[in-house]
Amino acid sequence: MATSTAPRTSAPSPSRRSLSHYRWPIGYVVVIVGLFLLYHFILPNLVTQVSGPVTAWLPVATLNECLMWAIMALGLNVVVGYAGLLDLGYVAFWALGGYTAGWLMAAPFNWTWDFHLFGAVAKTYPGTHITFWLVILIAGVLCAILGLIIGAPTLRLRGDYLALVTLGFGEVITQFFRNSNDIAGRNLAGGDGGISIIDPIGTGPFGATGLVPPGLSNGAQDNVYKILVLGLLVGACLFISLRIREGRLGRAWLAIREDELAASMMGVPLVRTKLLAYAVGAFFGGIGGVANAAGITGAVSPSGFDFGKSVLVLLMVVLGGMGNVWGVTVGAFLLAWLNSNGLKQIGVQLDSWFGTTLTATLPRYNYIILGLLLVLMMLYRREGLIPEKRTKALMNTPSRTEMESMGAESLEAAAETAAVEKADAKTDAGIAASAAAVSPVLDESTPKREDRS
Amino acid sequence: MSESLADATQIGGTPNSSDGPPPVTPVAPGGNADPVTSNVLYADHITIRFGGLVAVNDVSFAIPPKSVISLIGPNGAGKTTFFNVLTGLYEASEGTVYLNGKDVTPIKPHKRAAMGMARTFQNIRLFGLMTAEENVMVAMHPHLKSGVLSTIFRTPGQRREEREARDTARELLEYVGIGKAEGELARNLSYGDQRRLEIARAMALRPKILLLDEPTAGMNPQESQQFNDFVYRVRDERDMSVLLIEHDMSVIMKISERITVLDRGNLIAEGTPDDIRNNQTVIEAYLGKTGTREGKRNKS
Amino acid sequence: MATLVVGGTKRKAKVRLGPVVERALGFVVLGLVAIWLIANIVSDPNRFLGSALVGLQNGLLYALVALGYTMVYGIIELINFAHGDLFMLSTIVAAGLMVSVMGVGQLGVGTILPLIVALIVCMAFGGFINVSAEFLAYRRLRSAPKLAPLMTAVGLSFIFRGIAQQDYVNGSAQKNWAVVWGGPVVEGVFVYKLLMVIVVTVPLLLAMTYIVSKTKVGKAMRAVAQDQDGARLMGINVNGTISFVFALGGALAGAAGVLYFLVQTQTYYDTGTQLGLIAFTAAVLGGIGNLTGAVVGGLAIGIIQSINEGGAYGLGSNWSQSVVFLILIVLMVFKPEGIFGRPTTEKV
Repeated sequence: MATSTAPRTSAPSPSRRSLSHYRWPIGYVVVIVGLFLLYHFILPNLVTQVSGPVTAWLPVATLNECLMWAIMALGLNVVVGYAGLLDLGYVAFWALGGYTAGWLMAAPFNWTWDFHLFGAVAKTYPGTHITFWLVILIAGVLCAILGLIIGAPTLRLRGDYLALVTLGFGEVITQFFRNSNDIAGRNLAGGDGGISIIDPIGTGPFGATGLVPPGLSNGAQDNVYKILVLGLLVGACLFISLRIREGRLGRAWLAIREDELAASMMGVPLVRTKLLAYAVGAFFGGIGGVANAAGITGAVSPSGFDFGKSVLVLLMVVLGGMGNVWGVTVGAFLLAWLNSNGLKQIGVQLDSWFGTTLTATLPRYNYIILGLLLVLMMLYRREGLIPEKRTKALMNTPSRTEMESMGAESLEAAAETAAVEKADAKTDAGIAASAAAVSPVLDESTPKREDRS
Repeated sequence: MSESLADATQIGGTPNSSDGPPPVTPVAPGGNADPVTSNVLYADHITIRFGGLVAVNDVSFAIPPKSVISLIGPNGAGKTTFFNVLTGLYEASEGTVYLNGKDVTPIKPHKRAAMGMARTFQNIRLFGLMTAEENVMVAMHPHLKSGVLSTIFRTPGQRREEREARDTARELLEYVGIGKAEGELARNLSYGDQRRLEIARAMALRPKILLLDEPTAGMNPQESQQFNDFVYRVRDERDMSVLLIEHDMSVIMKISERITVLDRGNLIAEGTPDDIRNNQTVIEAYLGKTGTREGKRNKS
Repeated sequence: MATLVVGGTKRKAKVRLGPVVERALGFVVLGLVAIWLIANIVSDPNRFLGSALVGLQNGLLYALVALGYTMVYGIIELINFAHGDLFMLSTIVAAGLMVSVMGVGQLGVGTILPLIVALIVCMAFGGFINVSAEFLAYRRLRSAPKLAPLMTAVGLSFIFRGIAQQDYVNGSAQKNWAVVWGGPVVEGVFVYKLLMVIVVTVPLLLAMTYIVSKTKVGKAMRAVAQDQDGARLMGINVNGTISFVFALGGALAGAAGVLYFLVQTQTYYDTGTQLGLIAFTAAVLGGIGNLTGAVVGGLAIGIIQSINEGGAYGLGSNWSQSVVFLILIVLMVFKPEGIFGRPTTEKV
């Protein structure tokens, strides 16, 4: 039993990490800043033959979309990748986030007050205009609360039931917003039309210096700055995701994924721990929803939230590598790009080579391609492109709690019940009688103290 | 039969023939002590029914502080079912479970664990993909206080708490004898080390009572002896009671202060090892009524 | 010296509040539902009749789809997410076959033959697709953690929806077909429609019951559902039995698709997701794994939904999904075993 020379496989404590440990975060910052510089300074000065293809294959708008999806994917990663909960209704948080932006950064329908709080639009505009940066926090908190409400009754359900229930929630919340123009006679969220003309992202002190526009609209020029803004948000999500996994919460999540029953017996409160994952994931969803509404679409409407989007985010998490934030980010980039621009570009390329007409038709196959990708990943590479250390093992053997619904504890108990089935009442009575004779301490007939109740 | 009766009712202790645990004095009913508050664990008239079947029938059970009690019985006796009720996995149909004087019957397993009831499993259930150290640290969950925000920002308080937790984990691993394995993945450990790790993990809950489910399964005699010594150490040094489910009679007879015997859901005997050794009902329960020739083998 | 203190105290056995409260709540809920139904009947009996008939019609369809869900779940504990979308594909196949190929327009006695043809084709189609999915995908994932086959089913669902969305299949919008019903109308319900649904559904349901309870393969199904390894040891062809169940489930979805198309005369790529949720709720309501339960659940949900939409006291069709979903949530949280299921001992 030579275990004395076993290599340390647990992470060294924070003070001892070398620079190489930070290679992914550094790489990320480099990429974001690099992309910004590329689109802001370099490309406008390059000749069209070079800058053309770059902007065709990765237009800034698509890049921003990718970043926004990365926020969503990181949020779902906490739920699915860290805690192992299959959530098929993640779009609900996205919707709530978007509508929070609609309520706090626009002048919807018949509301008549004016409220400005560092808003990005002039004070003369009617409606509520709170700064983007505050709204993302508000939306995050609101979504976390919604997550707690949804999760509290449902997170104790087993995996497949939970999946269906979350799917249902996603559909119901979307239906709520679709009917929201007439709830008990009041218009709460614009119904099918939604809320449009949402404020742009305000740049606050940076805008005041004149270097940067005060509000980042959807113009091509302003979009480049959004790379930095969204990149910052994604960075914050990355930071939170990485940090939150340390410490007792991360251990609790991993323990739950491996063997829920044993975890519970070791003092880990299952529902509460799962709720935390759910709430954190919801928080990110809220941020992403606001970012989407204010930074990308400028509006929010129920048609933007459907089951397909929930599955798309799930696919990003699965494809990228469940539980690995970098994998998930890469997965998000890849799939968002594919979905929004990539398929079209591939079609254009193939058309120019083979004279086909795929530019128009290939993007329409996106759902089929994505579904196929999900099935193939599950069959051949469940751990994803950039897997998290333990996911591969976890995804290849079912957890103890699944294999036997309670393991030996219940199998043996079941055997005991079966033995009782075959018991004979008369023999049992005889046994009980002789037991009483042997152990008068437990004999009912000896005088007892009074009851204490 | 009359001998064992005399033994069982003898006030003043029965010297045990082996170099085992100190003598135990049963207090006859009518004494002043309340079984609920004077025992670490007290199960009061537990009945467990599944549908129409009675798996455990009106069993009462007490575990005093700093004691070692064994629960034995032939297959199908209801031991595991009873164990599961004690830990909160199953709900008893009737009866109450008291832990440290508090009624824990409605309380869920993870809270009972936090209140001081720890267990190991018959088929080892470690978190295989976590290191030994991490396994132990999982069980410290109820005793750690850091919340989400302090974890994200690595506050000094959180860092200190983690450091202390790691130290405690290492200390526990040393205590059970696998100190060198702290960084090793649990699934790579040898069987014996895994058993020890399970105990270390259970001890991380700072329990008042340790429930061990067939802890010596698969151990050789030397390991069993080490285990016996370990149980005494735990009881004396760490102020814990130990409840064992076991089939290995040599371990049971050597180590137990008292033994409770179940058969087909009924409590058929309760007493010191000597009582049980000579108890006709127990012998018959294990071997059927096919004569006492095999009964002699039962004496360890 | 350790002292053992044991005394039989005569503390009374605590009554477990849990089951008693649950049963009381259950009766309260049933009572409220009954009151709601009676209120609807009393305030406008004609509308109620119409809604009840529509409910019966829809409920039978839900029962067919729910049956497919429950059979597959019963045998391998998998919620086949793609089941609803398979049903949706079958509506499109039925539409294409009956209208484009066989030229059905006005529905009358002459359309009985095309109906039978469509039923056969769609049931075969459904069964074939389901069996293929099982063979190519689910079978390999039988020993994997539950997350894997679940996500595979979601992926398949996506593929089916994607196919339906293609312009050459059904397009992204709801497609209305020029199929007209004739014959008597009672409170807005086409009698022939209802008749057709009953005439097709009831024999199918009876056939399923017969297969499961009286045939050898049905016995094999029940054995595999209880204990796969044990069944294998008994010499039962487990793989074959599972494939057979998938074939049956797929066939039921196919039949439901034909009926749905004829009843609604429209096809839409999203129908599967919506109806799938409803059908699954029905299966859970009746007790997942239980065939009778699926039928009872389907009828119950169908009637509740239609009275909600058409009755005097209802929230309207805008809120139907939410109502059904609320039922699902309440069931899952308080009584996951449904009406006919056995309580599981799983605890958190």
